[in-house]
Formats: sequence, C-alpha cells, structure tokens
Amino acid sequence: MNSQTSDARQAVRAAAQWLALLESGGANEQDRANLKRWRETCACHEQAWQKAQALRQRFADLPPALALSSLDRPDPSRRVVLKRALGAVALVPAAWLISRQLPLDVWRADLHTATGERKKVQLADRSSLQLNTASAVDVDVQARRVKLIAGELSLKVPGSSPLTIQTKFGNVIVSQSEVCVRQDARGCRVSVFNGAVQLQPLQGPALALRGGQQVSLKAAGAGAITPFDATAPGWREGVLMANNQPLGDFLRELGTYRPGVLRWEPELENLRVTGSFLLEDTDRVLALLAASLPLEVHARTRYWVTLLPRKNSV
Amino acid sequence: MSDAAMPKEQTLHDLYRDHRGWLEGWLRKRMGNRCDAADLSQDTFLRVLASSQRIAELQEPRAYLLTVGKRLLSNFYQRRSLEQAYLAALASMPEECAPSPEQRWLLLETLQALDELLDGLPRAVRRAFLWSQLEGLNYQQIAERLQVSERTIKRYMAQAYEHCLLVDL
Repeated sequence: MNSQTSDARQAVRAAAQWLALLESGGANEQDRANLKRWRETCACHEQAWQKAQALRQRFADLPPALALSSLDRPDPSRRVVLKRALGAVALVPAAWLISRQLPLDVWRADLHTATGERKKVQLADRSSLQLNTASAVDVDVQARRVKLIAGELSLKVPGSSPLTIQTKFGNVIVSQSEVCVRQDARGCRVSVFNGAVQLQPLQGPALALRGGQQVSLKAAGAGAITPFDATAPGWREGVLMANNQPLGDFLRELGTYRPGVLRWEPELENLRVTGSFLLEDTDRVLALLAASLPLEVHARTRYWVTLLPRKNSV
Repeated sequence: MSDAAMPKEQTLHDLYRDHRGWLEGWLRKRMGNRCDAADLSQDTFLRVLASSQRIAELQEPRAYLLTVGKRLLSNFYQRRSLEQAYLAALASMPEECAPSPEQRWLLLETLQALDELLDGLPRAVRRAFLWSQLEGLNYQQIAERLQVSERTIKRYMAQAYEHCLLVDL
C-alpha cells in the first residue's frame, strides 16, 4: 500500500519532468525515445502520463481570458482577507509585502514579536518561519542565514537548499526538515519535528538530529540527545500543553505569553497541571486553572495578577 | 476504554451542544455575518465527524475546533476572493463574448477546483504555469516576463505539474 503510493509519487514526479522537458523545446530524438520507453516500462508510468495530459486538458477547456483573471488575480486581496480571517496568527510584516515582488535572493529583514504575539512568514522558496512570543530574528536569504537573536523560532524548509540558523551557542543547518529552536541566556534547545538537521555546537564535534529528537546546546557544547513527542500540538498551533507538570513551571511558561506581572504563592508551586490550553486567551487559561485546582485568581489590573490558595477549600 | 466504546455520534452530540454557540460566536466576530458563520460552524463539526480524531480524547476541544474552523475559514475567503475576481472579469467582458448564465456557474465551480489545486504553489511558479496553460506562452516568453532563466521556468513547470498531480494521490 505504502510502497504503491511511493511508486505513484515517483511516477508523477518523472511525468512532470518529462512534460517540462518536452514543452521547453529542448527535447531531442533520443529524449523522445527514452520517454516512449519510460511510458512502456510500467503501467503506473503510463497512468501518470495520462493523468498529466488530463490536467492539461482541464486548462485547455477554459476560456483563457476569464480563467486567467480569476486564477491569476492580484495577491493583495487574498492576503488582506486571509489576514482578517486568521487574526494575529497570520500577520505579514510590511517589509515582506514589498519584497515579495522581488527575487528572493535580495531579501533581508529584521523581524520581531512582542510579548504574547506570534508571527508567521512565508519565504518565497516555500520555507516558512514562525516566531514565538518576545522573539527577534535577522533574516538574510541571500546568505541563506537566519540569525536567532532572542526567543524562539520554528523553521520549515521543504527544499534541499539549506538554511542555517545561527544562535549564540552554535549553528543548525536545516533542509527538507522542520525544526524549533529556543534560546535564552544560558543555552538553546533544538527540537526536530520532521526530517533531519545538522548541528555545529560552539565546542565539540558536529552532530545530526532526527525527527522526534531534541538536544540542548550550551557554551560548553551539546548535551545528551533525548526523545520528545513531535506530534503533540504546541505554540505553533497556539496551544500550551501540560502533562502532570508542576504548576510553577507551567506558570513561568505561561508568563512569557502575558505582558505584565504574574505571581503565585510558594505553596502552589508543586500542584500538578494536565491539559492543553489556548494561548490566544491567557486570562481564560488562568480561569481554567482556578476551576480545576484549589487556587484563586486575584487581578488588580489586567497586568498584575496573583494566584492564591483558595481559602474556603473544604 | 468506555470513552473509546462510546459511539462517535454521541460524543459529537455533546461536543456540538457544548461548543457550537462559542464557535459560531468566534466565527461571527471574524466574518461579521451570522449566516456564513452558522454555515461554517456546521461545516466544522462535519469535518470533525469525518476525521479520525477520537472526540472523547480531546483534552481541550475548543483548541481543536478552532484549528479546524480556521482552516475552513481560510478556504472560504479564498473561494470568495476567486468569486469576486471572476465576477469582475465577467462584468468587464463584452456581452456577446460572455458565457451563458448556466455556463457561468459551471465555470466558477471548475475554477474553484483548479484554484484549490494550485493553492500552496509559490506565486511565480503559479503564474508561469497559468501563462503556459492558458495563454500558450512558451518557456522563453515566460522567462522574459518573469526575468528569470529558461531553466528556472522549466523547473517551475515541473514543480507545478508535480504539485497538481500529487493532490489526488
């Protein structure tokens, strides 16, 4: 089943290459003979070829002018409605809107997010970059470099041309993979979600990390590689997960998404939290905690919140 | 265990009862329109029913509903922006060249399907592909318009063909 799908994929990829070669006008007699042989080698090749012809026919049947003005409509309208639809999650920085018309290799940008903000940008080579709360990066696509200055980023590079994430504690080389890197003053944590990445720590030998593995980089070099659950939703989906986590740790994490002061009494520190919470409304997360744990939320202002043990717990 | 044994319709019923109002409110705030919001919230629950996700195991069902709802919302706006571009193009056509009323709607459906098919392609690749298919430009002409090499166009075209053909696999 699986190998069948992968055969079909390969056949489709080959058919796409053949078609592009033929249409380019650069095919010679030998190429045509090779194509004929390829189509005869396997029923799945011929099937892919016929599918490609059917696709061309679908376009050929359309009234060209009408189809072109609908399918090649100017992008801004699409982007504006999308932006309105998805809210802050899909904000696109203005610098990028301008440079989208330009070739990717002249693109440079400094991007940052405020506390509680998250941002996603699509690079024109199909890579996508996401910034978590209170983060800053410096992107230079010409140099194929993303410099993480503070906070946390997620980078997905579908293509084979690598992008290098530079941190204070070493480099992470990403191609055909998806990775999260979180940096603070003491070190950074690299988590691979898909594919494989190469790591170059400040000290010690380079190492490779596969999907579902993470590692800490410090000034002294890389720590031990540990597994993690790459399928669990996280900040990129706008979700904060806790699995029997001490409340103190959970609140320190939650606090990074909230502007203002969040304090709690020491006796609450080791209560346990389990659940997944929406980051877009941290007030609601606090209310949920108060509903499931013996604590109360005291908000002097929206920006000054203290958690106390519940007094009238029976 | 008992959760897993519970029929999906039952848990969906609970999910619907507890969260439909909230989801619809969220959608209405973004869409500014009660009817569209109600439609889309129905679609969201249908999507959940059709998915393999075990409803009883959702820890924070609203996070999940929101993820599904946002995806549908994005598709909704994409269809609408296509529709607007299409209607504008129709309006600017001389009457005698325009398709008949029946054909107009059939054509719109076809265009929507193709728009979805092309979704996710980089802008330049998409344009190169459309110019080749619809205007019949050759690779050299497309290369001049986009100011890139013919080799790049060949790569774009292979990428676009592959992207479209992979969708049904």
